Amino acid sequence: MPYEMIAALMFGSMLAVMLTGQRMFGVIGFVAVVAAVWLWGDRGGHDLAFAQTIKLMNWFPLMTLPMFIFMGYVLSESKLADDLYRMFHVWFGPVPGGLAIGTILLMVLISAMNGLSVAGMAIGATIALPELLKRNYDKLMVTGVIQAGSSLGILVPPSVVLVLYAMIARQPVTHLWAAGLVPGLMLAVLFILYIWLRCRMNPALGPAIDPEELAQVTTREKYMLLLSGLMPLAIFAVMMVPFVLGYTRLVESAVVGAISALAVSVAKGRMTWAILETCTKKTLAISCMFLWIILAALAFGAVFDGLRAVDFVRQLFMDNLGLGRWEILILMQVSFLLMGMFLDDTAMLVIVAPLYVPIVQMLEFNLIWYGVLYTITCQIAYMTPPFGYNLFLMRAMAPNEVTLTEIYRSIIPFVGVMIIGLGLVMAFPQIALWLPSVLFP
Amino acid sequence: QSTIRWRLQTYAGASLGAQVAKPAIDMFNAIAGDEMQIDLFYADQLVPTGELFQAMQRGTIDAVQSDDDSMASPTEVTVFGGYFPFASRYSLDVPALFNNWGLNEIWGEEYAKVGVKHISAGSWDPCHFITSTPITSLADLQGKRVFTFPTAGRFLSQFGVVPVTVPWEDVEIALQTREIDGVAWCGITEAHEVGWADVTSHFLTNNISGAWIGHFFSNMERWNELPPHLQVLMTTCFEQSHYYRQHWYWAGEARLRTESKKLELTSIPDAEWATVETAARAFWEEIAAESETKAKVVDIFRNYNAAMDQAGRPYRYS
Amino acid sequence: MPRFVMTYLHMVEALNYRVGRLAMWSLFALMGVLAWGAIARAGFSPQIWTDEMAQFLLMGYFMLGGAYSLQMGSAVRMDLLYDRWSDKTKAAVDCITIFTLIVYLGVLLWGGIESTQFALEYGERRRGLWQPYMAPIKIIMCIGILLMILQCSAFLIRDIATVRGIKIAERDTNAL
Ligand code: NA
Ligand code: NA
Repeated sequence: MPYEMIAALMFGSMLAVMLTGQRMFGVIGFVAVVAAVWLWGDRGGHDLAFAQTIKLMNWFPLMTLPMFIFMGYVLSESKLADDLYRMFHVWFGPVPGGLAIGTILLMVLISAMNGLSVAGMAIGATIALPELLKRNYDKLMVTGVIQAGSSLGILVPPSVVLVLYAMIARQPVTHLWAAGLVPGLMLAVLFILYIWLRCRMNPALGPAIDPEELAQVTTREKYMLLLSGLMPLAIFAVMMVPFVLGYTRLVESAVVGAISALAVSVAKGRMTWAILETCTKKTLAISCMFLWIILAALAFGAVFDGLRAVDFVRQLFMDNLGLGRWEILILMQVSFLLMGMFLDDTAMLVIVAPLYVPIVQMLEFNLIWYGVLYTITCQIAYMTPPFGYNLFLMRAMAPNEVTLTEIYRSIIPFVGVMIIGLGLVMAFPQIALWLPSVLFP
Repeated sequence: QSTIRWRLQTYAGASLGAQVAKPAIDMFNAIAGDEMQIDLFYADQLVPTGELFQAMQRGTIDAVQSDDDSMASPTEVTVFGGYFPFASRYSLDVPALFNNWGLNEIWGEEYAKVGVKHISAGSWDPCHFITSTPITSLADLQGKRVFTFPTAGRFLSQFGVVPVTVPWEDVEIALQTREIDGVAWCGITEAHEVGWADVTSHFLTNNISGAWIGHFFSNMERWNELPPHLQVLMTTCFEQSHYYRQHWYWAGEARLRTESKKLELTSIPDAEWATVETAARAFWEEIAAESETKAKVVDIFRNYNAAMDQAGRPYRYS
Repeated sequence: MPRFVMTYLHMVEALNYRVGRLAMWSLFALMGVLAWGAIARAGFSPQIWTDEMAQFLLMGYFMLGGAYSLQMGSAVRMDLLYDRWSDKTKAAVDCITIFTLIVYLGVLLWGGIESTQFALEYGERRRGLWQPYMAPIKIIMCIGILLMILQCSAFLIRDIATVRGIKIAERDTNAL
């Protein structure tokens, strides 16, 4: 059987077995080892899977993963974000749609303190969502706001997705993180614009807060609340400044971030033994989920390498389809979006990025810029059914009055906004590349 | 009759591998045609470099291009792979040592013991410090975090150098993120070829070795299964790879040192550098005391270098 | 279900729970080692062992914690169809598809055992200045993989029970 047939067969059977609902890492690993043993069984094909553990061990920046996850859980479990939420509540409440806009800003700040979208989702779904619903905000809109807003966690630094991409594309994390910041803020602005426009056209979607309720807040308290906004900025600075200046390495900065989040929660009297235990346990659960998927996907990727799948994909895009460089790039993004509907984003990154990165390089596109495009695509994949982390989390955490259909419908306009954002970054690469060019001349 | 297919993984990443591995593999494939084809894989593609030896010994990979040190081979000669400090001065030293002074036999025997065929040894590039801050005295080495070979790292740590282990492919990023201050790894040609010259600023002309010893190996069983004419063809093509590499590096050394604007050249005064050379002799004694085989190899180095010194110009300029 | 099967089930789950809790707390050891590396480098002299130690800790963390994380149900599934099935259907399908995990983990263990044998036979050490022996971490990884296989067998037992309409109390993964 020709190699490209085997590669296609592997991909197809992986998707098919996944439909049975079995745990993803097992399915990916299963297809990988069966193919390896079948292809090279007489020549030690069986140890390809285990050899990947050593590769994983060598990926030093991977150590940031549990750190950023832990940091996110400390933020959400110890309710550190309560004051933040109240700040936005008080300051933006009087504007129509203001609470939703404040929620987006809250998500931006939370994104600056953790590497995934989990913390944002948890805080959004448990603190913001019930409040918004109580104040008669449109259910569809606020459900979408929280899912879209929390997805900024992987674009605004620190970002675990960009760390993974950096390891695969072999690009400096510093540059990638810097490149993610402006597009992240741009997406936030686009979300806010969308909310503002919708609420202007139909104020019932986001009613302003009752003035009487606001009158209970003293002016002094109002300004004191602004101070709470300093906390995330301080954590961000403590983590990032020594890193950008070269005093700490990436993984050490992640540790600094985790420890400072812990310190703040202790100082504020929010940390109890039970909360610490919950954070540590959930960190293990999510870290294991990621690491096992990466390990299995690495085995899958090694077999793909052995089959020379890169050459096959390159041939398909360049020779057979005879496409131009932009057409290929768009096609790659579309294929990522489609796969993102069904596949775990991490698995997708580890399996597909090694195939696409050399092509992007050959087409002479900037790999830092492409990392940002990839991450925005990932953000969309996080929210699009049937498979998406943010969807799962929303389903698990949302109050009962929000139905599954509503969760699915709520993301439609936001996905639209994100596709516009994706288009903007594609058309104007400077949106992503300006900051790294200033920081790292 | 079906085509014999081998998988060869090199220690080198794609950019360097395009020079130091691909031409020879392409040549072999073109000549062998339907009889045999070798699929080339770059660093970490199928297995991580640290696992290369095991994978070859078990046959997951049929052949490997690497130095002994990088692939962590469990032999008595591993310590001499990569750069054994000051063992060689010119690139022709290595083929002379292997073909005429008896190293080939020692390597062949050592690898046969662990089920691996040592196909051929070649002279690779010299080992220099390439850093982001200038080095003009031994004191500048203090605290420098440097990517280097294990044996070189062990030797250099007495001068305050801190060897850092990162995968070869991540060196450029580690330089950019200031995780390391430089490399003690290669000559100026490789530094330019793989892009390290773009993220560093200084090149120290004093080298800790004139040429690195690298090899091609294969799984012994696989090797024995090959018909003799393919064995000869493979050996020839691999020899050709070493040769290509010699003139590619050598030509680049002079040209890039004079023409490239990317790296500024600095040196440590000869008198001070002599301390390092003396330390190397002591290091050799230390290694020789570890085993009989090691003592034999160190002896050959010592005799060879003595002979070269005695021969005077043009064999040794000092 | 037969008594010895139930005993086996509870033993496996209890073992994985204990080991997993240990791995869970090792997160702080990982933080400590990395922080110590940074402090030592800035304050006095760089430590040669911290990077490799941290790498070993991360491997131990997710290998030994793997089975417990499975218990907690953290591994993601594609639930397009799965979500719509009854518990019985889910269990019936899982009874078959759990073998994908068992096969993957089995092959992983097979490679792991060979690699460990190599590490023991040749006294394999990790590259770098510290050069720690590789056998201990490889043994730990093999144990982690084995525990995950045992956990899969526990899932299988639970699923068979569900298909046959037998109720087995869920294990409380939150207990201390
Ligand atoms: Na973030
Ligand atoms: Na999706």
